[in-house]
Amino acid sequence: MLSAETVDVKFGVTYALSEATVEAHEAQVTGLIGPNGAGKTTLFNVITGLQAPTRGRVTIDGEDVTNLKPHIRARKRVARTFQRLEVFGSLTARENILVACEIRNQWDSTSEDPRTVADEILDRVGLREVGNQPVDAMPTGLARLVELGRALAIRPKLLLLDEPGSGLDSSETLGLGQLLTELAEDGMAILLVEHDVELVMRISKEIYVLDFGRVIAHGTPGEVKDNADVQAAYLGAEVPA
Amino acid sequence: MTAFLAYTVIGIATGCIYALTASGLVVTYTTSGIFNFAHGAIGMLMAFTYWQLTVQNGWPQWLALIAVLLVIAPALGALIQRTLMRRLYGASISTTLVITLGLLLAFIGVATVFWDPGEPRSLPEFFAGNRVKVFSIFVSYHQITMITVAVLVAVLLRLFLFRTRIGTAMRAVVDDPELASLNGAAPDRVAMVSWALGAALAGLAGILLAPLVSLDIILLTLLVINGYAAAMVGRLKSLPLTFAGGLALGLAEAHAIGNLPPNILNIAKPALPIFFLYAVLLALPQARLRVGRVVNTHRAPRVASLRESLVAGAGFVAVAAILASVLSPGDLFTAGQGIVFALIMLSLVLLTGYAGQVSLAQMTFVGVGAFAMGKFFGGGSFLGIIAATVLAGIAGAIAALPAIRLQGLYLALSTLAFAQGMSQVFFKNTNVFGFGGRLEVKRPDILGVSFRGDRAFFVLLCVTFALCGIGVLALRRGPFGRRLIAMRESPAACATLGLNLTMTKLAVFSLSSAMAGLAGAFYGGLRGQVGLNDFEMLQSLVLLLLVSVAGINTVTGALMGGLTFGLFPKIQRSLPGIPSLSFLGAGLGAVALGRNPNGWTSDVGPRIARLRKMLRPGDSGTQDGREPEPNVAPAPEAVSSAQR
Repeated sequence: MLSAETVDVKFGVTYALSEATVEAHEAQVTGLIGPNGAGKTTLFNVITGLQAPTRGRVTIDGEDVTNLKPHIRARKRVARTFQRLEVFGSLTARENILVACEIRNQWDSTSEDPRTVADEILDRVGLREVGNQPVDAMPTGLARLVELGRALAIRPKLLLLDEPGSGLDSSETLGLGQLLTELAEDGMAILLVEHDVELVMRISKEIYVLDFGRVIAHGTPGEVKDNADVQAAYLGAEVPA
Repeated sequence: MTAFLAYTVIGIATGCIYALTASGLVVTYTTSGIFNFAHGAIGMLMAFTYWQLTVQNGWPQWLALIAVLLVIAPALGALIQRTLMRRLYGASISTTLVITLGLLLAFIGVATVFWDPGEPRSLPEFFAGNRVKVFSIFVSYHQITMITVAVLVAVLLRLFLFRTRIGTAMRAVVDDPELASLNGAAPDRVAMVSWALGAALAGLAGILLAPLVSLDIILLTLLVINGYAAAMVGRLKSLPLTFAGGLALGLAEAHAIGNLPPNILNIAKPALPIFFLYAVLLALPQARLRVGRVVNTHRAPRVASLRESLVAGAGFVAVAAILASVLSPGDLFTAGQGIVFALIMLSLVLLTGYAGQVSLAQMTFVGVGAFAMGKFFGGGSFLGIIAATVLAGIAGAIAALPAIRLQGLYLALSTLAFAQGMSQVFFKNTNVFGFGGRLEVKRPDILGVSFRGDRAFFVLLCVTFALCGIGVLALRRGPFGRRLIAMRESPAACATLGLNLTMTKLAVFSLSSAMAGLAGAFYGGLRGQVGLNDFEMLQSLVLLLLVSVAGINTVTGALMGGLTFGLFPKIQRSLPGIPSLSFLGAGLGAVALGRNPNGWTSDVGPRIARLRKMLRPGDSGTQDGREPEPNVAPAPEAVSSAQR
């Protein structure tokens, strides 16, 4: 579904990403973890076209999209959320999702009524009760769910989630895990960046670990957990060269 | 060859001044992220202060230079940073524009209070009368001074930025909000020093430039604006490129003057820097979309429902009909003028209030509309109104095109260039407004009903405003309106949903300028004729600022802003001591209130409600006419504060 191949991103003299290769497949959650500043968000920006890579390429369904504009990539059904929230703050939760449905109706030939779709999504992410509140007045955790709902509105095949669980309490996190598993079961490819490693380990089929812009480990949750480099990166110990 | 050399020297000298002023702009922009539109006005103000000290008060040049460039200008810059700019970090482009444009107009207004614009003044050149022969041409000492000073400043700036601690801190560019947030925002002291430095550079440019032109408030302010083009060459970041841009601009201008045939030159000369700016904007590569949404400092006002807006519209027209039958012709004209301005401001509600884009050329579109109304379909026909709307819509698209793919600031600059260019090339052209620069604009007959009489025309005007207001609100409630709000609040998120930002911006820009064109048809009809000076860029600024002060998010804001502006000529007559009352009023108002996009009109409703509640203690209805507050109290980690 998605493949980002040997991606470099250079800011000045430092590499935010260096030869990073990450793939995400249909019908599964792929975890992407790593310490702060490892390059996770930069990778999302490269995939969605908000950041041009210095080197490397991005393909979606086998098609090279490296030089396509963000909105054209989105039309290939790639949706995302943002680590630093990018909600439409003065609109209500429902309007946030509704406007996304309406934008999709512009480029997607569909006869779906955006209002019906928006209400379905509100139910699905559990925001029905606060649907008429302006998002600016919501706690961060709920606003993250608004972003998730908004991303779902374009009926993505590939969904990039940048720390959707931060700001959620433990029962809400459980609900989120459940929702993501269901979405994957429906066939969606999900790339999940999340600090809650327990959540990632539980729902991901495959996990990539980034550190200093490099992929230092890749495998099943079990393999990644036992990897010495990963433990070193997370515990701050010296990484063997 | 001699002529070529002579023009080259003139070009280099002028280019040096552009480079000076532009580098001041770049220094403040990179450290505070705010593009200072008042830069030109600071240069003008300092040139006048210098003139006051030397020519009027007889101070020696060196003492006046020290006083102006090392004391007054830096103090002014630092003061602006401390009192105004410090609070604007992270604010939307429309807010920072409104505040700095407010300063620009306020400075012009202040200058006219101290220095009567009617009185001719001139500033002598440095080492006046002295010149030296280089090869075959004479170079004045003043020109040599200009070049030397610019080179010196370039060297000193380089040393300052690379060899001093504070200079190094300044280079920590704030152009990338993401990066800035990682490094922590530029410390206040750095920003203050940069604003002091920027103001001093503007002052230096003003003082060196003033002797070459007459000491005229508007002219000098606009000349320094020409330096903006040079700053664009450096993409508001690179000082070497900015200097190169300044020189290129100066040389292009001088050689154009030397080589263009006089008939073209007369038209094109004042607009040359503007064409340059336009060309640079066209050549700028597309900047990447930045993540980092605008933080809302004020809660958006509730949007009226269709029923509410229909009732309000009908009430408005009813009041207008009554007023039309009781007001004197003079008062009817004043009120009509207010409604026309309100209609123009309504176009800004759509563009700036909803979509977050800024146009500094709204009066230009009004002029295009008035022109179409006067010239096409025999003048004063219903088709003329349609033509005015369509033509202005096309003009809007043309104005926006070079910068539509860039960010808001560049779009605003592009419209500024368009407004200046149009005023020089189009409105001042005798083929456009005819000999004498006045074009007759008749009032229309619609479906056999004549609206030529003052009263009928006033009612027609009010009906048009009501319909447009209802239309704008309907648009806001619909899908297009939601898209505009979404685009204003997070362009990056919109793009990742598949929205074509360029087309959306182009659509709203055309729609807004079309509405301004419609207002232009009425502007002309109301006055009976329009003149070449009616559509100056500065008037567009006044309009933008006044509607920002009244409330750029709401139809009520547009109406109140328009009526206020309509009253200005009346107030002006009773205050002859303040020649540019509209500049001063709009400028100071914007500086004081421009941070609240909902404007002062948004405070009126809640105040009345509170008053009512005080009078009727038993009433427990909603307090401010909004939906009841949600039951969930915004937690400390509420979104808005977390993003700040």
